[in-house]
Amino acid sequence: MASNDLVLTNVTKRFGGLVAVDDLSFTVQQGQIYGLIGPNGAGKTTVFNCITGIHPCEEGSVLWCGEEIRLLPTHKIVQMGIVRTFQTIRLFGQMSVAENVMSGRHIKSSQSWWNGIIHTPSSKRDETANWQVVFEMLDFFDLTEFAASTVSSLPYGIQRRVEMARAMAVEPKLLILDEPAAGLNDNETQTLIETIYRIRDKGITILLIEHDMDLVMEVTEYLTVINFGSKIAEGNPGEIQENPAVIEAYLGSEDDDF
Amino acid sequence: MDTFLQQLVNGLTIGSMFALIALGYTMVYGVMKLINFAHGDLVAGSAFVGLFVFSQLLGGEVSLPVVIGVFLLTIVAISLLGFTVERLAYRPLRTAPRLSAVVSALGASMVIQNGIMLLWGPQMQIFPELIPSVIWEVGGVVISLMQVLIMALSTLLMVGLYFFVEKTKIGTAIRASAIDQDAARLMGINVNNIIVTIFLIGSSLGAVGGLFIGLYYRGITFNMGWQYGLYAFVAAIIGGIGNIPGAMLGGLLLGLFKAFIAGYVSSTWADAFTFILLIVILIVRPTGILGERVAEKV
Amino acid sequence: MMKKIQVIGYPLFFVVMALLPAVLDSRWLVVATTFVIFTIVALSQDVILGKAGMFNMGQALFFGLGAYTTAILNSVYGWPMLATLPVAIIIPALFGIVLAGPIIHLRGDYLLVVTIGFNIVFIQAVQNNLGGVTGGPNGIFGLEMLQIPGMGAFQEAAPYYAALFVLLLTLFIIRNLESSKAGRALHYLREDDLAAGSIGINTRVYKIFAFGVGAGIAGMAGTVFANQYSAVSPEAFNFLQSVLFFSIVIVGGSSVPGILLGVFVMFVLPEIFREFATWRYFIFGFAMIFTMILRPRGLWPAKFGRIPKAFLEKGGNHGQQ
Repeated sequence: MASNDLVLTNVTKRFGGLVAVDDLSFTVQQGQIYGLIGPNGAGKTTVFNCITGIHPCEEGSVLWCGEEIRLLPTHKIVQMGIVRTFQTIRLFGQMSVAENVMSGRHIKSSQSWWNGIIHTPSSKRDETANWQVVFEMLDFFDLTEFAASTVSSLPYGIQRRVEMARAMAVEPKLLILDEPAAGLNDNETQTLIETIYRIRDKGITILLIEHDMDLVMEVTEYLTVINFGSKIAEGNPGEIQENPAVIEAYLGSEDDDF
Repeated sequence: MDTFLQQLVNGLTIGSMFALIALGYTMVYGVMKLINFAHGDLVAGSAFVGLFVFSQLLGGEVSLPVVIGVFLLTIVAISLLGFTVERLAYRPLRTAPRLSAVVSALGASMVIQNGIMLLWGPQMQIFPELIPSVIWEVGGVVISLMQVLIMALSTLLMVGLYFFVEKTKIGTAIRASAIDQDAARLMGINVNNIIVTIFLIGSSLGAVGGLFIGLYYRGITFNMGWQYGLYAFVAAIIGGIGNIPGAMLGGLLLGLFKAFIAGYVSSTWADAFTFILLIVILIVRPTGILGERVAEKV
Repeated sequence: MMKKIQVIGYPLFFVVMALLPAVLDSRWLVVATTFVIFTIVALSQDVILGKAGMFNMGQALFFGLGAYTTAILNSVYGWPMLATLPVAIIIPALFGIVLAGPIIHLRGDYLLVVTIGFNIVFIQAVQNNLGGVTGGPNGIFGLEMLQIPGMGAFQEAAPYYAALFVLLLTLFIIRNLESSKAGRALHYLREDDLAAGSIGINTRVYKIFAFGVGAGIAGMAGTVFANQYSAVSPEAFNFLQSVLFFSIVIVGGSSVPGILLGVFVMFVLPEIFREFATWRYFIFGFAMIFTMILRPRGLWPAKFGRIPKAFLEKGGNHGQQ
């Protein structure tokens, strides 16, 4: 087992009496593009919330690079290199695109809290260097023309890109994408697929939830399918498409994404 | 032991008043997620309107019909004022940022408070003695007719409200709007009407609370709304804001706490201890005693 | 438009403010000093409320702590007024940090009521003459007057210039805050607490930081306040003052010009229309309601989209409005 893997073992998450994630285990290997799919309400986002510390799970273990991160607060998990995007885009709405992406530089910045009161030559250098990275990131996501625009005034597809740019500005080792293609048109989805490959080429592991099955089957290398919080199948896209349990879960749920 | 029982009676009396006023805060907060800062000033206004109705409109002679008349007319006047506040200061800000609505509420509070001052002057006014001062002494504990009436009437109103909210169609609509306004709207509930309803009910209960304050403490000032309002709001939060039984429980608890502090420690520290209690409760239970914990949906 | 106002506006503002004592009589000098001091407090409130988005309605507590620290050090221990300034910053800042710690996780309105509570506990403590040094309900008076050497006949204006200097310092701090990691973190957690945590910001630490900075600045204002009146008393710091500072920040729109405007309307206009003094809050109440209805984001809303010039110049205006 390579040390930079994400290993979930017997993860269980309850909300009151409801078991949202039930005894789930899977392993994301370094450098993979890994898909987590399942019908609506299967508990996919909850799995992400468990990994990122937003709603820590009660049982099981979440190992990242060989360390237990199950009970760590979100910001610590980010510092260890796991960054996510949200299904419902969560950007800093009143602020500009560049400022949003700059937020991703927060943990990479060497400034201390007291630099908020008084600047020093080194804090100014750090500030400039981080803005430099932000503009490189804007360039990478083809967002330069929107740098100073207020985020909430931009179309949905661009906001999705801003959110990915923000996550990438953190320089993660594992990028978690929660339905990155939701609300995108065909052109935008095509660009997204290319972007995902370009991110992977930087050596970043990607874990994604997606309902667009064409996208999932094209980009992912390995998949876990869950339903009602438990795993019903895993394998490469070809195997999953043939799997009777998966077909039943999707057909039985009147979900026509498949 | 005497002090204990005496303060128990006093505490339950002021606690009933806090609870009545707290219901106005908690119902509005439940549906609109807004602290109705003007509510305390409506309560203060009620005492002044009651004074006016008694001495100017109903001739100033105490009799049972007159007392009932004072209560009814004051309730009508204050609930109309509450209705006006909602229309003028809150409804236009339904979709505005939260803080704008808070400041508008503070503005409404200032308008009412200073409106009272402009009408009645900054001096303390004396509320008429509408209830004959009958006092019983039971085993060293002094209890007055007024205290009994305050507790009885408050209990009656609260039980009535509880059944109204739990058992009637409008009550169900109120609870539905409190949980999810949009969903309630989709189910055909006219949320604006619900908001008007809770403002009318809340203001009416506040009006009764204000009259009780006038009757019990006698001295009324234009700026007392902030003081009683804040206490009632604290009571609502202690009980779990948005929760109707919580407001009743919080009101009684706070009344008892205040009475025991006054009885055993010192009334000059009562406010400080009250807020320390609030802070401790919120640290232990961030959403109050009966409040529900909600996990944020991501 | 904004840029021009910033480039020309601020120097012009300070030149005018610096020359004011030459034309004002002593009554108006007091009004001008009060204007400057309350502006500082409102700006300190803006750090917590406007920038970090925490519903703090107890800012007068930190203002009062600074003033009382100065007054006690001067009257009891004989410190010179100026020497008390560092302590009057540190003590409120520490209180801000310690008080914020256990309550910072509370949601909006709960925080609001708890901060009102802190303010009320403070007032009751000084009224009850806690520790025998606060002077009870009457406060502390007969403090030393600040002497600025070499001012000669202008000595009367010394408190004014002290206040103006602190305002300048405050604006300097706020400018630094805006172009730093810490300052941006405050904006992020106001906009979306959870998203801020999800990109690695320790939201708890930065919320406490906001309270520390806001309280420290308010403490500085407290020192100049004690200096101006040579006295402190509890009612100057009660929670109704906090309500005013809260309203000023929101009505102003959480920007420096908006706050200056708000403080001017709340504290200077009533001095001009003294015959309407009793109508003051009645009119303000209506003004607050109508401002919020007509301009929900305030009279002069804070603008975002600041990007360092060096990057803007490289290619067009990047969609800057």
